[in-house]
Amino acid sequence: MNFKNKMSSVLIAPAFLWLIALMVVPCVMILVLGFFQRGIYGGIEYNFTLENFQLVFDSLYAGIFLSSARIAGTATIIAVFIGYFAAYAIATSPKKWQPTLLFFAVLPFWSNYLIRTYAWIVLLNREGLLVGFSKWLGIDGGIPSILYTESAVILGLVYNYLPFVILSCYAPLARMNPDFREASTDLGASNFTTFRRITLPLSVPGIAAGAVFVFVLSIGNFITPALLGGGRFQMIGNVIYAQFLTANDWPLGAALSMVLIGIMMILLMIQASAAQRSIGQKNKEQLDG
Amino acid sequence: MNNENTLLSIQNISKHFNDSKAVDGLSLDIYENEFFALLGSSGSGKTTLLRMLAGLETPTEGQILLDDKDMVPVHASKRPVNLMFQSYALFPHMSVEQNIAYGLEMERMERSLIDKKVQEMLEIIQLEKMAKRRPDQLSGGQRQRVALARALVKKPRLLLLDEPLGALDKKLRSEMQLELKRLQHEVGITFVIVTHDQEEALVMADRIAIMRDGNLLQCGTPQEIYEHPKDRFAADFIGEMNFLPGVVQGDSIIASSKRKISVMSTNGFEDGESVVAAIRPERMSLFLENAENSIEGKVHTSAYHGMDILLHVSTEFGEKPISVRVPIHSVGDKPFKAGDSVTLYWYEKDTRVFANK
Repeated sequence: MNFKNKMSSVLIAPAFLWLIALMVVPCVMILVLGFFQRGIYGGIEYNFTLENFQLVFDSLYAGIFLSSARIAGTATIIAVFIGYFAAYAIATSPKKWQPTLLFFAVLPFWSNYLIRTYAWIVLLNREGLLVGFSKWLGIDGGIPSILYTESAVILGLVYNYLPFVILSCYAPLARMNPDFREASTDLGASNFTTFRRITLPLSVPGIAAGAVFVFVLSIGNFITPALLGGGRFQMIGNVIYAQFLTANDWPLGAALSMVLIGIMMILLMIQASAAQRSIGQKNKEQLDG
Repeated sequence: MNNENTLLSIQNISKHFNDSKAVDGLSLDIYENEFFALLGSSGSGKTTLLRMLAGLETPTEGQILLDDKDMVPVHASKRPVNLMFQSYALFPHMSVEQNIAYGLEMERMERSLIDKKVQEMLEIIQLEKMAKRRPDQLSGGQRQRVALARALVKKPRLLLLDEPLGALDKKLRSEMQLELKRLQHEVGITFVIVTHDQEEALVMADRIAIMRDGNLLQCGTPQEIYEHPKDRFAADFIGEMNFLPGVVQGDSIIASSKRKISVMSTNGFEDGESVVAAIRPERMSLFLENAENSIEGKVHTSAYHGMDILLHVSTEFGEKPISVRVPIHSVGDKPFKAGDSVTLYWYEKDTRVFANK
């Protein structure tokens, strides 16, 4: 090992230890509970069992997993669609404006997640701005409030995670060699064909990164469904929350968490390996280009 | 030049960016089947001109007639003109054959015909075995050939090449110069190449246009441009040139040291005008019979170039030493030392006269 390697190990050690001691160890301690029995009056009986996992794949919880995935998936599709075109608009705007536009895109991050979510309640409730606006437009009785429905939850998720998509899509679009688009035009392609066959495929790594981000953060989210869903229906995050804090069934909560974390890890790994491949390709281009 | 049918006629074309004039009222004709080089330093407007021909820039004014049809209103994607980018701009997510097929797919050509044409093109550039590779799995020279194939396969009336050899190393570059020339001959398409490398232009082009400040300085065959440069700038830009300052007197030039330099023609300059006599280093010699001009001097530096020796000789003509190329066979193995006395000879026919400015 040379000096440079030693140096980087020394530098990375604190962060690594921090992660192990305060993140991995406590998580593992909780997650192993999934393999034990629940005590009759709460608490844990340390007898090994796989019952909890059988329960997870039982129709009740599997159904909640599926509906959570559906909600997260819908939010992801909408966020990617809006976010990609926002990123495209920013990347094609004059260079001097781009930092400002990006700043505005991530501005909501500077405020508290709860406050942002409560703000949506104000907008969406029966006396809220949206319904009021529709009344003002002359719709009789106004449009029905979507607060405490699945749509409100999806809206909240899209709103909260949109900046991730914008940022991750902006990067490949801004980095893309403008000659690619001109070459496509020169070879006879219309602007739409150039977008479909050149720009869009080359921004897939950014889209994938943004999509995985939104999906992973959405499927485990429990604040947005609790506030905007009004507790009328549950996502898997709410169920886990309830197992630990109200039902006092830590083993089942641990088993559910483990399956959820497993899903997230698989998605992140797929995305990371895809990104790795395209980075390798880019580096090579830069070396020779 | 095979024939002189005008293919492209650029008429009084200008391109202004805000207040700078990248191209300023330039007119130029390019003939069919010609290998034409636009030569100029950076900022001379050569790339802007090329991009206007491709349709990637809109001229501020002027016309571009291709086969007598004005191209200015025609969108880049509809012009029978293709551009090979300096960066090659190969699509990184497509294989070699997909890159080459792209332009044909845009013409909605039948798949079987596309495959056939791509195959032909791969044979011409000798990359049949690389058809499935992606651009990042190719060497620089191979990528250059794929970029060329992608533009050529569309059989454009005019192929534009922006510094096509700029990214290659020196040895590969001189190979590709001849390769490009051979290919141009083989496919019979008019090539317009942009370069800042005067040697490249001399080797490859049938005709060269030297550009300066958004306009043409001189246009002609490599030999015309090299042997009869229009002015001092053109003479200096192409190859090496010695400039000896003096004043016109009759049909000679009198240097400040009173030495007389005889010339064939004073190039229209009259008695008393301040001029320079210009001689190429390879037109001077240490041994020359019946030469009208000679000058004594001392060797300043001597550089061995393999095929010849480049001497810098200090003389009475100003502070800048005179360059002279001495063929290796004429001096044998005898080295020159700084301070050696030499006499340089040259013919009056090899002496050009330009304004001294």
